[in-house]
Amino acid sequence: MAVSNRLETPMGIVTPARLVAVTLMCAAGLLGAIVFGMAVGSSGTDFTAVFRSLQGKKALEATQWTILWRLRWPRVLMAMETGAALALGGLVFQALLRNPLAEPYILGTSGGAAVGAILGILMGLSPFPGVGAAAFASSALSLALVVLLASGRAGLRREALLLSGVMVNAFCGALILFFVSTTQDARLHTILFWLMGDLSRADMAVVWRLGAVLAVCAVILFAMARPMNVMLMGRDVAKSLGVSVTWMRLFLLGVTTVMVSAAVCATGLLGFVGLAVPHGLRLLFGPDHRVLVPACFLGGGAYLIGCDALARWIPQHGEMPAGVVTALIGAPLFIVLLRRATR
Amino acid sequence: MTGDRRVWHKSWPEPARRALFGVFLALILAASRVYARDGVDLVGRRVNLPEVPQRVVTLAPSLTEMVFALGAGPRVVGVSRYSNYPEATRDLPRVGSYVQPDVEKIVALNPDLCLVVKDGNPREVVDKLEQVGIPVYAVNPKNLDQVMETLIALGEVLQARDAAKALVADMKRRLHAVDERVRRVPQRPGVFFQIGVSPIVSVGTETFAHELITRAGGRNLAEGPEPYPRFTVEEVMALRPDIIVISSMERDQTFERVRQQWLRWPNIPAVALNRVVLVASDLFDRSGPRLVEGLERLVTILHPELD
Repeated sequence: MAVSNRLETPMGIVTPARLVAVTLMCAAGLLGAIVFGMAVGSSGTDFTAVFRSLQGKKALEATQWTILWRLRWPRVLMAMETGAALALGGLVFQALLRNPLAEPYILGTSGGAAVGAILGILMGLSPFPGVGAAAFASSALSLALVVLLASGRAGLRREALLLSGVMVNAFCGALILFFVSTTQDARLHTILFWLMGDLSRADMAVVWRLGAVLAVCAVILFAMARPMNVMLMGRDVAKSLGVSVTWMRLFLLGVTTVMVSAAVCATGLLGFVGLAVPHGLRLLFGPDHRVLVPACFLGGGAYLIGCDALARWIPQHGEMPAGVVTALIGAPLFIVLLRRATR
Repeated sequence: MTGDRRVWHKSWPEPARRALFGVFLALILAASRVYARDGVDLVGRRVNLPEVPQRVVTLAPSLTEMVFALGAGPRVVGVSRYSNYPEATRDLPRVGSYVQPDVEKIVALNPDLCLVVKDGNPREVVDKLEQVGIPVYAVNPKNLDQVMETLIALGEVLQARDAAKALVADMKRRLHAVDERVRRVPQRPGVFFQIGVSPIVSVGTETFAHELITRAGGRNLAEGPEPYPRFTVEEVMALRPDIIVISSMERDQTFERVRQQWLRWPNIPAVALNRVVLVASDLFDRSGPRLVEGLERLVTILHPELD
């Protein structure tokens, strides 16, 4: 069954019971990922410590407690938020652009956000809202550019969309390298952080900020799940059902871009999360967005926590950027999906 | 008696009892602080130092060398990845590299003091260590004089004042001896100091190597505001260096190959005079006590006529 068909099947009925069941399944997965993420680290891996630490501070050595709750916990939370934001971003892009391969990183939206964030930092703006706003503006700009480049008479052409995305992405990558290597600015952290996505600088202040943005956007997206289903059936159907396609598209793309650029400011560029998670969940739960929005929210969080934990687990010494893991999983998946979509 | 007292303070009103409890708490806290010292580190941050630091983590090879030179080596429990001197550092746990310290590993070692370098160790790492209650003392030496000031300050921090004084006195004596010898040199040869292979990278004015070259009676041909300027072979030819010093990280084979490459250009004075030499980079770019050793070696290279 081709992915493209999967996306365009008319929707059935979603019972509350099914919604609850799916949510519970994803929540269980998320919980498992959280335990994994808390148990793994460079100072040693210990699953029992995670459960013992739930009994309170006395159950663990002070050092171990600090490592678990002051170092790993913020990191797990940030991975969860970023994963949720990127997975939802991929889901919305796929629905609105009617392209199963659309994803914030591939379309250059993440790259645009990173360039904006770097410029904001270099201009000395405050992290919030200054740098965030710069990241949003720049990522909206790159998305608009990609969509404009790919627009033909018959709507968005699939290959053109991907190609322009790849080009904008490459250009943003070059800009990032340019800024980070020419300005020896300590505030820019490392090139690795911006190009490969790195969660090692997780911080509670960022977790709260990103969490607030994500919560608002996720609620909006869940409320808009029905119109998103209708959009998939095509412009004419949507019109006849009274959905104002153009405005709906703009609004949803705007909300998504806010979410993605906030995630990029916090963690740099993590590729393919918005591809792997929605497709995996579509295979599990079918194409209905009323189910997929909460599933992607929870599943995306679980996925990135898992990827980051693997990034800390695999190397003998230290850790690698989480973006390495997401790309190792995501890029081959992209090729598979591309072959299926063009067949 | 005790019973009396209990009755006596039970009869107090609630706010007063709370206040009394607060006073007790403050006293206990004050007592616990007797074992710590308030200090200001070398970049102006306030640090609450342990009375005698017993578990020290150093986040740069230069800091490792300094602490060991002060005789506090046995109290070091963790070092940065490239800390390779002295020999005793070999078996110490590694806590990540200079630019990417591994906070979790540091915390797991349960240190009571973490020493960092302002230019190099990331700010976020320092913030995080402080958040989890590890005192962080930062240093930032930019030249030989500041290295000696840093050693004295670390002597204070580690309660190794005498060792620090003796060490700095010895460094000063050796520096003075070098200055005396170099004053008599007839000319100052032009030095091209190479720290990178491809691209060719040299050292600008704001580096230790520049200071050592100048003090050893040479001219740094790459001097300027750019700390690590890049060069092409033709630019080096145009500079006409009298001496080419290749600073290596003990990777002798690589750098022997680099030397062979220079030897293809006999129009460079340094090559014609067979003055292309290899030195150990650790003696020229680590802000530690061994910089004096680097200086002495450089004097021998630049002015063999003095020996």
